[in-house]
Amino acid sequence: MEAKKTPVVGLPRAMLYYRYRTLWHAFFDELGIKTVVSGPTDREILDRGTSLAIDEACLSLKIFLGHAASLVGKCDYILIPRVSNFGRHRNMCTRFEALPDLAKNVFRESGQRFLTYDIDVLQKKNEAAAFQALGQSLGFPARAVRKAYKLAKKAEQAKYKALVREQEQLYKTDGLKILIAAHSYVADDPYIGWTVTSYLKKAGVTPIRADIVDRAGAVGCSPQISPTCKWEMSREIIGSIAMHCDKVDGIILLSAFPCGPDSMVNELISRRVKRVPVLNLVLDSQTGTAGVETRLESFVDIIRFKEGLL
Amino acid sequence: MRDAMNVRKISFPRYAEYNCAFKYVFEEALEVRCITPPAITKRTMELGAKHSPEFVCTPFKITLGSMIEALEAGADTLMMVHGLCRLGYYGELQEQILHDLGYHFDFINLSEYDMSKKKEYIKIVKRINPKVHLARFVAKFMEGVRMVEYLDEITAIYYKNCGFDPTGQYKAAYQRFLTDMYTARTRSDIEDGYRSVRQAFQAVPLNRPVRPLRVGVVGEFYTVMDAFSNLELEQKLADMGVEIHRWMNVTHQFLHNHGQKNMAVKIKNLCTYEMGPTATANIWYAKECAERGFDGLVHIKSAGCTPEIDVMPVLQTISRDYKIPVLYLTYDSQSSDVGMMTRLEAFYDMIHMRKKVL
Repeated sequence: MEAKKTPVVGLPRAMLYYRYRTLWHAFFDELGIKTVVSGPTDREILDRGTSLAIDEACLSLKIFLGHAASLVGKCDYILIPRVSNFGRHRNMCTRFEALPDLAKNVFRESGQRFLTYDIDVLQKKNEAAAFQALGQSLGFPARAVRKAYKLAKKAEQAKYKALVREQEQLYKTDGLKILIAAHSYVADDPYIGWTVTSYLKKAGVTPIRADIVDRAGAVGCSPQISPTCKWEMSREIIGSIAMHCDKVDGIILLSAFPCGPDSMVNELISRRVKRVPVLNLVLDSQTGTAGVETRLESFVDIIRFKEGLL
Repeated sequence: MRDAMNVRKISFPRYAEYNCAFKYVFEEALEVRCITPPAITKRTMELGAKHSPEFVCTPFKITLGSMIEALEAGADTLMMVHGLCRLGYYGELQEQILHDLGYHFDFINLSEYDMSKKKEYIKIVKRINPKVHLARFVAKFMEGVRMVEYLDEITAIYYKNCGFDPTGQYKAAYQRFLTDMYTARTRSDIEDGYRSVRQAFQAVPLNRPVRPLRVGVVGEFYTVMDAFSNLELEQKLADMGVEIHRWMNVTHQFLHNHGQKNMAVKIKNLCTYEMGPTATANIWYAKECAERGFDGLVHIKSAGCTPEIDVMPVLQTISRDYKIPVLYLTYDSQSSDVGMMTRLEAFYDMIHMRKKVL
């Protein structure tokens, strides 16, 4: 790869970026590929995505398309993986299956090229094989790719373990603690999820992320609440709730309108988890935060009232 | 004979006209009683919508309403299938909602079983009726499958031709066939019903123009087939004098093209991967219709159906490439068809004028 110019890969800061950012950055760095990440979500990105998406699509997809659009022309490839499942009853929302082809059709006129890898364990395609194929399709020798993936995976695991430890510490803090049950691309998004966490912090409450958890352990615990749930990311959250609901004062089920899995999973959680107060909060592309803040305020008040703190 | 009091009274939610086959399999193959839920009405929809989460897809609401009506009709066992989209989670949530409402029943949720293993099917059969004789069950089950094949075949012929029969005999023959299927008790009942409807169809003289308008219908698995859910779209469009072609049905999707076999080859330039449970078939058929020179496509889905929303950009590409008009219809739990009629008439006028010009 000495003579050939190494390509620049664009990473849209949306959807699976929040789950895989360490892995992606480490993998491409290791191979010496330059990456560009789209800027944090703002109104402009959302508006652009909304105009590109089918109007019934979920808020997260609109944000994703906005990010992808902002990368068009600025890189050689935009990375959009297809993640179908990690095994039986460990599926992803069908949107992650469709994402690469969806983007290809949306941006067909622009001539933008895309880079993709396919994780579909039921069809015997796991993550390692997917990255191997990805690296080799970019013209790198098999050994270099294998090494890069191995190192990247190690980096990801170390980083994630530290994050989990940090969250676990939060459960031991004093004062009100609220568990935020949301997909990482909702909770971590500065434009939508952060409005919730920053408000809670201002109100003197410790927000704890349910999705940052020992993933295998959480998936194992999820049948305690829902035995047939089949979405991997929802199972992690459900399992995390099962593991931690006694350690927190309230749970906020945070979802982006109209998230498919969440529309059902959150209903089930609020029907089955009775020990702690649960708030079901659906975020849409609203311009103001006043509505969200009013609901959070009343929820925090209810918890304080219930615990005799008010 | 079996003790009539101890027999399980099982019910499966209303699903297009397939309940005749479910009834046949339950009663003849599994030897339990089948409570066929009443036909879906506005009440079913309202009952379901009232107790469902707000953003769930419409089939969830309709099947929940249908389950409530089945329980009211005396069912003591309900059944729900597994699936690749949200459908796979219907069972658990519906069971929870019905329990919370206070109903008592046994719930057979196929999502709890690993449906990739054949052994699991035997477990399910034995759970429904432990006394069933497996060899006899399989023979009778295959007759039920045959009924589904006939039903899909006749339905396809019906919607293709019924718009060109002003006398109403075609419709009467189709209705008679449905009654025959719902009342069939033996293999010969099924075969007789099928033969007589074929003869009746042939006896009706059709005034079909030389080049009739042809419209292909694609869409989400439940809403595209269930006439109540799509507000009888196919019948309404056919009555304007249009040939309706729909590939999507149980026979094609599950029996003859298991896993949408080999369809991906033809649509390689449009999508690389499988985009959803029925996406490959829908894209394939839309392209097929466009290549065969159809006058238009109708895409049907329930509100919020994730896989079908994702298919829409691909259909837009097909529409641009082949210059074929596509009407996108989304069905929520509304019960009035006025809005749809307006859009349908406009669509018809447009494809009609296009045909004259081209």
